[in-house]
Amino acid sequence: MRRYLSVAVMLILAAFLMFIVTGLTFGNPQYADMDDYFIQNGQEQIATNNIVTTIVFDYRGFDTLGESTVLFTAVIGVAMLFRKFTGGEYDEDE
Amino acid sequence: MIEMLAHILVLAGLVISALLVFYFRDLMAAALASGFFSFLISLEFYILQAPDVAISQAGIGAGLTTAIFIIAIRGTQRYEEAGK
Amino acid sequence: MMRMSKIVRTCADLMYPFVVIFGWYVIMHGHLTPGGGFQGGAVVATGAALVIVAYSYQEITSMLKKAVLMVQESTGLLLFIGAGLGGMVLGFPFFFNWLANSGSLFGMSVPYGPNPGELNTAGFLPLMNIAVGIEVWGGLTLVILYLLSGLEKGEA
Repeated sequence: MRRYLSVAVMLILAAFLMFIVTGLTFGNPQYADMDDYFIQNGQEQIATNNIVTTIVFDYRGFDTLGESTVLFTAVIGVAMLFRKFTGGEYDEDE
Repeated sequence: MIEMLAHILVLAGLVISALLVFYFRDLMAAALASGFFSFLISLEFYILQAPDVAISQAGIGAGLTTAIFIIAIRGTQRYEEAGK
Repeated sequence: MMRMSKIVRTCADLMYPFVVIFGWYVIMHGHLTPGGGFQGGAVVATGAALVIVAYSYQEITSMLKKAVLMVQESTGLLLFIGAGLGGMVLGFPFFFNWLANSGSLFGMSVPYGPNPGELNTAGFLPLMNIAVGIEVWGGLTLVILYLLSGLEKGEA
């Protein structure tokens, strides 16, 4: 009984997600002035052939700074979690 | 036409590899199947013309996540018990 | 003292230099081809993860030092912020790309339209790519190394 119920829930969930996907528009995005500006001027202003790198590192440089900070903080969190404490003093490894 | 065929093959492979993750009792094989799932997602991103996302998915999803699973299996036992 | 079989270790040794070279290619050509600092750093960290998974913890600590990786990660973030602050000394806004089209280091200009591209362009975008690449390489390798070290200490 419980098995059939879980299968039914899964099917309903899948149908719901497929219903959402049918409403999306792939291949014809909405017109935006910002995209045109990047494509027209990015190559001459920054002298880069890869427009994606131009946007990520130059026009939106603060986003990349935040991303780097998030990665740094995550690594510090993992390092704190796996440090072994022995009698109040931390273990000096390597 | 050839693009449609590639889409169908990759999406069918996604479903099959996702089912294989639940089918395997050997947890190492299940981790590798999940890595193959990530690799197929990265292939799908490449077909949809997003090579940036494809490279990061292949690096993090298929490489590092599988490595973390293998290290976790090394800490416990390799075979799932048959009862539950 | 757990490690994988000899086949896996030999394959990891063979694959490691090629993966690292491909990752550095993705980092250095970040302003010309798809990819960039984050993607290339993730690829290099995948090569390091391959070696970490194949060998035991005692053998890994003689190859990869935690202190070196920590210094590497911090250096990457400091280089990234320093590249942004460098323009402020000369009177430009924060994160202004003052090296582009200047004729000096990485300073060649690019015509509009499709063209094959030149490595010596894009101002300090290549420098930022290298900084982010070093940071992601050190950070992601350090995460996996810490997971393995917690495992081995629990056993002992």
